[in-house]
Amino acid sequence: MIRGIIFAFLGGACITLQGVANARISEDIGTWQAATVTQLTGFVMALLIYLFVKDGDLGGFRKVKPLYLAGGAFGAVIIYSEVTAIQTIGVTFTISALLIAQLCVTFLIDTFGGFGRPKSKMGAPQFIGLALMIGGVLVMKL
Amino acid sequence: MGFGLVLAAFAGAMVALQTIFNNRTDVHMGSWATTTWVLGMGFIASLACSLIFEGGRTFDLQNMKLWYAFSGLIGVGVVICLVLGVKILGPTFSVSVTLTSQLGFALLFDSMGWLGLEKVAFDWKQLAGVAIIVAGIYVFKFGGKKKTEPPELQASAFKTL
Repeated sequence: MIRGIIFAFLGGACITLQGVANARISEDIGTWQAATVTQLTGFVMALLIYLFVKDGDLGGFRKVKPLYLAGGAFGAVIIYSEVTAIQTIGVTFTISALLIAQLCVTFLIDTFGGFGRPKSKMGAPQFIGLALMIGGVLVMKL
Repeated sequence: MGFGLVLAAFAGAMVALQTIFNNRTDVHMGSWATTTWVLGMGFIASLACSLIFEGGRTFDLQNMKLWYAFSGLIGVGVVICLVLGVKILGPTFSVSVTLTSQLGFALLFDSMGWLGLEKVAFDWKQLAGVAIIVAGIYVFKFGGKKKTEPPELQASAFKTL
């Protein structure tokens, strides 16, 4: 239990650190270049881990719809937008707006179904949750 | 301010889509093959954008410091932590902790000005705002949601939301 919380916590810390590091690197070599360099390193490392743990099957991509396979390419615009946002409005506002939009889109897709996901009923708690989150950003802007 | 917020929201929307797509890929390939694939695609797309928008400056890397190359390992650390977190705690609790930590560290980075960030003076409104957002996350995640997800989706590492 505690171990799980520590992993989840470190994961969150790393996600934010990644955004900030990308913003820092972008200042020196350019944003697209930063996205290229960091994802190349990540790709090589992930490949090594995959070859080491032999968990799953890279050849399984034949069974995946091309649209889903192309999702990885979003990484380029995600990094570019996040870095530019961090440089303009700071880390806290960027992460807040990013998370709210992320939850809203997942919420919409789950409400209407799509992309092979089952429809799920979203209730009052989810609306209240989103409203609170948007309220939080407004409080920060006061 | 507005432009930055729009960009951040756009990134969030793309992250949501990508997470769902990765989840579908994970079902057939497993977490590490998926991570390898996703980062490979991201690398190719970024290189293409760099060549289109920056041209020859793409390879103009004299300001490159050694640690920049290793910074990409952070993303791999993210996957390891999220996979283990979800495995031990289940997606709902694990994701809530991750989102809270993301916001907490965002505030910390801003107020400390680490890694050459422009230091944003810490102010209580920011902390209050983050606290309200975190409360919203827990209401959203733990509020009675009737979800009937097939088991193969639940087992995926890409349960960021």
